[in-house]
Amino acid sequence: MKQNTQEKKLFNFGISTLALAIFPLFWFLSQAILFRELTEIVTRNVLVLIAIPLGSTFIFLLFIGMNKLINFAPKDSRDVLEARMFVGPSIFMIGLFLFYPAVRTFYLSFKDRYSNDFVGFENYVWAVTDAEMITTIRNQVIWLIAVVTLTLIVGLIVGWLTDRLNKGESFFKSIVFMPMAISAVGATAIFKFIYEYRPPPLTQIGIINGIRVSKGDNCYNNRIIDGEFYGFDDASCVAPVGWLQQRDLSALPIAETLQDGSWLSNMFVNLPVNTLLLMVIMVWMYTGFAAVVFSAGIKAIPAEIMEAGQIDGASEIRIFRSIVVPYIKSTIVVVGTYMVVTVLKAFDIIYVSTRGDLETNLLAVKMLDEFSKYRNFGRSSTVAVIIFICVLPVIIGTALRERDNLDS
Amino acid sequence: MTRNTQKWYDKPMTKLILVSIALTWIFPIFGFLLSSFRPGEAIKRTSWWDAIYTGTIWSELTLQNYQEVFRAENLDRSFYNSLAVTIPSTIIPITIAAFAAYAFAFMEFRGKNVLFLFVVGSMIIPLQMSLIPLVQLFKDGIEIAGIPIIPALDLNGTFVATWFAHTGFGLPLATFLLRDFMMGLPRSVIESAKIDGATNFTTFFRLVLPLSVAGIAAFATFQFLWVYNDFLVANVFLGIYKPENLVVTSHMSQIVVGRFGEAWHLRTSGAIISILVPLGVFFGLQRFFIRGLIGGAVKG
Repeated sequence: MKQNTQEKKLFNFGISTLALAIFPLFWFLSQAILFRELTEIVTRNVLVLIAIPLGSTFIFLLFIGMNKLINFAPKDSRDVLEARMFVGPSIFMIGLFLFYPAVRTFYLSFKDRYSNDFVGFENYVWAVTDAEMITTIRNQVIWLIAVVTLTLIVGLIVGWLTDRLNKGESFFKSIVFMPMAISAVGATAIFKFIYEYRPPPLTQIGIINGIRVSKGDNCYNNRIIDGEFYGFDDASCVAPVGWLQQRDLSALPIAETLQDGSWLSNMFVNLPVNTLLLMVIMVWMYTGFAAVVFSAGIKAIPAEIMEAGQIDGASEIRIFRSIVVPYIKSTIVVVGTYMVVTVLKAFDIIYVSTRGDLETNLLAVKMLDEFSKYRNFGRSSTVAVIIFICVLPVIIGTALRERDNLDS
Repeated sequence: MTRNTQKWYDKPMTKLILVSIALTWIFPIFGFLLSSFRPGEAIKRTSWWDAIYTGTIWSELTLQNYQEVFRAENLDRSFYNSLAVTIPSTIIPITIAAFAAYAFAFMEFRGKNVLFLFVVGSMIIPLQMSLIPLVQLFKDGIEIAGIPIIPALDLNGTFVATWFAHTGFGLPLATFLLRDFMMGLPRSVIESAKIDGATNFTTFFRLVLPLSVAGIAAFATFQFLWVYNDFLVANVFLGIYKPENLVVTSHMSQIVVGRFGEAWHLRTSGAIISILVPLGVFFGLQRFFIRGLIGGAVKG
């Protein structure tokens, strides 16, 4: 009898290993090798044609194969084994693709650029002393504060105002929400066109510079009127500005009027113009998301509460401040969390617009630069760990709130 | 009820603010879209608002930018590459996650809570933490004490690498969302199926999967748009130096960064094309997308 249970335990252990590791590993390797070979054998068009259906369905073979195997198991332990087999591939993939790499990145951050020798905290010291890293961290902080605040405020306004409309609510929300579907690369292209700068005699095709150079009586942005050409006259007119090249206000005429040496004006002159303009892209992309979520939250406020406020004679702004905002506070926190995490991982906008030059860099771009441009794995891992450490408290906060909600 | 008690100026003010916000949001796209239909020379010669002002715009409108971006730039190849990356990267995680979600929702087994905590906990890992080790894993495999656990596969630069990466990054959220959704299904139906002798496999395929279509659609829309619009993972695992490996986003990044100087006619038309697919998915499946998005608020 005892012999029997031990055999059964061994058997179960064997099947569990199969389910949790060997089967998924087999799937992983076979799919990888099959498609790598395919890439070399067939032409590009055929590859794409094959890859879509086959790549999508290959995983089913894994589950069907596992199901067949389960039929060999004794009946009473079948349920347990089946559960293992159902969960196995998910756990395997998360372990191999998230947990193992996370631990390894942490480990690599204490090693040198070739991952050979341990260097202790050298990379971390670099991260907080290197001039470029300090600028990067400064930018990241500005982005976090400004982008999150702006998205939340504009999102709240749109969410609240659309809720008061009788019709056209979804129309307005769709317009503001639409950029969410656009890739950050596409959005950056759109805004680069607005900020576009060309050296003076050329026509300004970006609208901000276009408006600038046509300010004044006889200033034209190279326009043909009645067959006559009115060119740009740089003597008397306002010159165009390369907006994404401005790391502060000093090159702009406004700096002259600010140069009184006081603390406040010094701070003002140092405003990183290009960073602020790039943040606009992100606000443009994510405000709609905030608006849609807030609007759902506002709809859940009981009508009686709002009416009570109105009967008491509270103004609209008072109702907004004292009823709407407190009522959807938890929603605001959720959206804020989402935005903080998104901003910490912002990558495409900077990479496509300035490539991180001109003091516009962010952590995620810096991480990739250290990895693929400078080939310094230690520093790159360190930047990744910094991103992780910044994300950690935010998400733990979310988890704790979730638990409190469940308890109450 | 509440609407009637509003003061007379409320409605016009509301509309005014909303219309101006909507115009601000549309405006960037408007000039961009218009310029995509103007010849490259015209874009540089006169600004688009001057062209409207002087009325020359009507004689300029053309589709030649779109033809050029396909013919000379091979954007269509990048587009097919994007689909070859995106579709499996959406289906594989959904399949794996659906099985796991079923087990977490309807089956009893030892270590269930620990494993679920493992799944949820992995959501906090930002994908930046995974990039370097995954590139090394795909290239050299894993060795523990000299014993190869995973052989050197040399996968970087193939579609498989992006499928696996996106699967890994999308799985925690997919498992979490689908489990949440399946927990909401009527338990009695699943239990009675089991009493009737249906195996878990049949219950899953015949009963739970069809009932979970809405939940699956929510995640699928979210993941599809996420992968299609992704640039970082494509940049790292497919690379941006081989033209035949470009997906739409990395191809667009090449055009926008300025490999061709001031090619605004290609930048505008290319970006508009790259936007069309996600916008179509977005307007078609907006309901699902929003649900997936709200659930995905903490995706790693």
